[in-house]
Amino acid sequence: MEDFPVLEMKHISKSFPGVMANDDISLQLKKGEVHALLGENGAGKTTLMNILFGIYHADRGEVFINNGKVSITSPSHALKYGIGMVQQHFTLVPSFTVAENVVLGLKDFGFVIKTKTVESKIKELSEAYGLPVNPRARVWTLSVGERQRIEILKLLYTGAGIIILDEPTAVLTPQESDMLFKAIRKLVSEGSSVIFISHKLDEVLAISDRITVLRGGKVVGTVEREKIDRRGLVRMMVGRDVLLDQEKPVVETGRAILKIENLNVKNDKDLMSVRDLSLEIRSGEILGIAGVAGNGQRELAEAIYGLRKKVSGRIELDGHELRQGNVAERIRAGLSFIPQDRKTMATCPNLSVMSNLFMKNSICELVHCSPWKLDGRRMHSKADELIGEFSISTPSAKTEVRYLSGGNLQKVVLARELSNEPKVIIAEHPTRGLDIGAMEFVYKSLLSQKERGAAILLLAGELYEIFRLSDRVAVIYEGQIMGYTPPDPSYIEEIGFMMAGARQEDH
Amino acid sequence: MKIRIEKRLEIPRYAGIIVPVISVAVALLIMGIILLVFFVGRLGNLSSAFRETVEAYKEMLTWPFANRYGLFSTFMRMVPLAFVALGLSFAYRMKIWNIGGEGQLYMGAMVSTWGALFLFKDVKSPLIMIVLLSIVGAAAGAAWALIPALMKAFARTDEIVVTLMLNYVAIFWVDYLVYGPWKDPKGYGFPGTAPFPDQARLPSFFDDEFHIGVFIALAVAVLLQYIYRKTGWGFNSQIVGDNLLAARYSGINVRNYTIIALVVSGAIAGLGGAVQMMGVQHRLQHGFSPGYGYTAIIVAWLAKLNPLAILLVSFLFGGLLVGNDQLQMFYKLPMALISVFQGLVLFCLLGGEAVSKYRLAIVKEVPENE
Amino acid sequence: MKRFLLILTLLLVTTAMLAAPLRVAFIYVAPIGDGGWSFMHNQGRLYLEKVFGSDIVTDFIENVPEGAEGESVFRGYAQRGYDLVFGTSFGYMDSMVKVSKSFPKTTFMHCSGYQVTDNLGTYFGRMYEPRFLSGLVAGAMTKTNIIGYVAAFPIPEVIRGINAFAMGVQYVNPQAKVHVVWSNTWFDPAREKEAAVSLLDIGADVIAQHQDSPAPQQAAEDRGVYSIGYNSDMSAFAPKAFLAAPVWNWGPYYEKIVRSVMDGTWTNAQYWGGINDGAVDIVLSDLVPSGVAKLVMSMRNAIVKGDMHPFVGPIYDQAGNLKYAEGEIPSDGDLLSMDWFINNVVGKIQ
Repeated sequence: MEDFPVLEMKHISKSFPGVMANDDISLQLKKGEVHALLGENGAGKTTLMNILFGIYHADRGEVFINNGKVSITSPSHALKYGIGMVQQHFTLVPSFTVAENVVLGLKDFGFVIKTKTVESKIKELSEAYGLPVNPRARVWTLSVGERQRIEILKLLYTGAGIIILDEPTAVLTPQESDMLFKAIRKLVSEGSSVIFISHKLDEVLAISDRITVLRGGKVVGTVEREKIDRRGLVRMMVGRDVLLDQEKPVVETGRAILKIENLNVKNDKDLMSVRDLSLEIRSGEILGIAGVAGNGQRELAEAIYGLRKKVSGRIELDGHELRQGNVAERIRAGLSFIPQDRKTMATCPNLSVMSNLFMKNSICELVHCSPWKLDGRRMHSKADELIGEFSISTPSAKTEVRYLSGGNLQKVVLARELSNEPKVIIAEHPTRGLDIGAMEFVYKSLLSQKERGAAILLLAGELYEIFRLSDRVAVIYEGQIMGYTPPDPSYIEEIGFMMAGARQEDH
Repeated sequence: MKIRIEKRLEIPRYAGIIVPVISVAVALLIMGIILLVFFVGRLGNLSSAFRETVEAYKEMLTWPFANRYGLFSTFMRMVPLAFVALGLSFAYRMKIWNIGGEGQLYMGAMVSTWGALFLFKDVKSPLIMIVLLSIVGAAAGAAWALIPALMKAFARTDEIVVTLMLNYVAIFWVDYLVYGPWKDPKGYGFPGTAPFPDQARLPSFFDDEFHIGVFIALAVAVLLQYIYRKTGWGFNSQIVGDNLLAARYSGINVRNYTIIALVVSGAIAGLGGAVQMMGVQHRLQHGFSPGYGYTAIIVAWLAKLNPLAILLVSFLFGGLLVGNDQLQMFYKLPMALISVFQGLVLFCLLGGEAVSKYRLAIVKEVPENE
Repeated sequence: MKRFLLILTLLLVTTAMLAAPLRVAFIYVAPIGDGGWSFMHNQGRLYLEKVFGSDIVTDFIENVPEGAEGESVFRGYAQRGYDLVFGTSFGYMDSMVKVSKSFPKTTFMHCSGYQVTDNLGTYFGRMYEPRFLSGLVAGAMTKTNIIGYVAAFPIPEVIRGINAFAMGVQYVNPQAKVHVVWSNTWFDPAREKEAAVSLLDIGADVIAQHQDSPAPQQAAEDRGVYSIGYNSDMSAFAPKAFLAAPVWNWGPYYEKIVRSVMDGTWTNAQYWGGINDGAVDIVLSDLVPSGVAKLVMSMRNAIVKGDMHPFVGPIYDQAGNLKYAEGEIPSDGDLLSMDWFINNVVGKIQ
């Protein structure tokens, strides 16, 4: 293995309104290595690669290829430098054949397409790398795994020397993953370099030569595969600096308000991602669920809230079973949800602060209004009251929320979700992307809800946050609760084990 | 250095008025140059061509708005446009793209004709007759929109395709009726139904040039404005329109909203069809609408779905059409040139709208080394 | 003194009459470049300008939809004091009736309609006469005995034309059948071509039409078969296919109407001009063999003289019922409301 970097990214920074997606990231890719980018969702992996691939432009920082400084402005530009990327969403034309799709990516395929030559070359490549695919098949007839192979063959066909794979195994069966890993091995043995983006520890450990861990848009560190194990990686991912500097209010817990029994939920890819999960939260209690992202947290939250249909199981709120897929009923019953997607789910970006505050007003009134005659004045004064109470910094109640910072946006969500004395609160990554001040505000709000007697389910990636807020910690792995611990940093080892898939009773 | 086009983060408030005004002015200016060239070709010298161009412009801009007859013509064209555009706005606010205004207009016209000539032919009171015909017309438009609504809500079909296709079905259905079973027995075999009885005609004034359809449209617009601004429905429909996921998250029954949005949208267009029959046409004929349902899409869009703005825009649009007729009628301008002009106005309006969302930015490029 | 005043008044009136040219407006349903119906009316307008020179001012507007739009256009001309307004499409009828009542000083003439008012008259041409003649040509030229007819809308005017054409076909070739396909258009080249092609596909070797576009002619030319045009001499569009066309010639009739309005003798009588008036005629191309051409011209002369009528019994309908007995001729009323096909027509009136 030669040791000079074929690619170097230096001090890359990129911010989106309200979020620092990449903060001074540096990365080195050596010739002939598989370099994993590991991190939670939202850690900045995809943003970084989109910058490299010319989809985004970095605010600061430089990119070097073979020690020469370059400025990549578009994907086709990136291809020119031999950088190819297989994105999570494929870019194939379903009605075309495999060969036609491969040719489509080429800049100069000439006026007449020599299908025969292309087909035979694809055949050669697919055999050489163990990526079987029929060049004449129409893409729409192929499976997701086969489509991914086409994307990779496309890159090989163009002779890309640096290949970026963005969460490639997310759509694959274990057998297909094995096939992919063999192809990656073959590629690097021939001198190509691969950047492998993932949040799955096992794969990263299985395939990489080196691993760079990102957290919150920053590089936590880059390590050699041989010098680290699972637990070490988990610790890097969730953060070492778990400090308990704040006292938690002590609250007498009451009866069990949220009860979940044997819940099974499927994800968007139709795979079971919450399996036979049971849990219970009492009033005045915060249950923190720790786990690497993608282990069923989202599906669990959405199933409780009614946005996602459960396959089987029972969800009870204060003694009443919740029906399938009826959000309104749950809101009426006193269930609040702070989803992780503030912009895509919890708010309407083009509507005013006021409209966003009263989004659920027709179902659960924050302010009393006849649906036939909304009282603008009363709504306005209530909105102003909430803006004050939650110290939302906005020019006025009429400002569209897309102009608000992440922290203020989250305060709008909190104001709506917490002002109605909910019985149960689901908080999913409630502080992701927020600055320290806003984070503290979220913590205080949730703790005061707990004091009031709400039952709170907290799903978070940061162990700090879990320890800071929770009364109990549960660890989720592949849709199952692996075990419970007290919210104490001394259990961090055990939690790390469980996050990596070990059952509590195993040791 | 390189100039790049960037999306504006914030569009200034005044842009809503300034941009269309500038756009139309630009269109007028370009058209003026074309007209000047055209008249120079006809009249042979620049100064008389210039005078002719000014005259033509005066005619086009004053007749439709400042002359009694022109104003009535403008109202006549405005009414069907306004009804369909108001209907469309109801669905468009929820980002449900009803392209079927034309078909819903036809169905409203068809069923109100059925009412006037057959179903309610014994009703003698004009008031009852007009109310009945309005109701069945609206119901017909609603029923016609219910088809794509149910298909969208339960089978997730694309409403754009279905509503568009149903336009053709409605038009051909009307054709079948006016060439076949509903043909006026006293019409010498010519296509078209018998004329509406007097009690099925809207009250009209000034030599029958001005019927009360304008006021019905105004009432609908005011009602819609109230619904959009002051009711829970209007409030929630904004959420559905802005972020579907947020609507589901808020517990809004998106399926019901989808169905109701399309049905009400169709009902208003259908009412427009009934009003057009009772107010102007007085008999169902092949092709009675020269594409009002499609022009209304542009009207609704230009008015940013605001009901009162829709009235204003459809009035101006009607005036534009009437003014353009004047150019043809009295200045012998070929129709093709008029079409160019209408195209220019739309092009400039759409272009202005698009351009106002962007701004030019100068980007410094890092020199490449290769 | 009284005499003087009288003379003065007369003088004023006559000078006023001399000074003010007659203002005439034409409303067309299609673009005048269509080479068809509206084109021929516009030819009539140009003929007026040539004949009357500065005694007349003409204006026109193209592509005016039938319905409410039309009404505002008629009103616009009348309100500006135009003396004579021609509406050249059937669908303008309601608008013209309504507007003519509001503007009694303007004379309105409606082409192809049937309603009149004090100042609204109707006019049309006996197109069935040249249609019959063109049928003679088609019947003589077909070898497959399948003649295609691309029909516009199922209205009496079109049906009458098909029947007259079929009478001509039957006259020279009793075996031949006229196959009808409806396009439901007046001007839509794509659809009309499709309709023609569907007829060619069943073996038609002569294509006739009733629309304004030359698309059916071109379809025939592409297949190397013959075609019968309509409205105007369409030979330029299909030089190897075009045999004949029944054509309009509005100029002389329009001249007559303008004169009657100028001298105050206009009445709202319904006018229905034939070949003898010059309102309609037939044109033949060089492709028509001289024998056939001779037959057509002699028939034409017989019609002009009144010795011959295209519809002479016995005439049977498609079901075989005798509609008109030996030697019987349908009345104008029957012709104007015709809604059935004669027995050598294949096809249905929708």
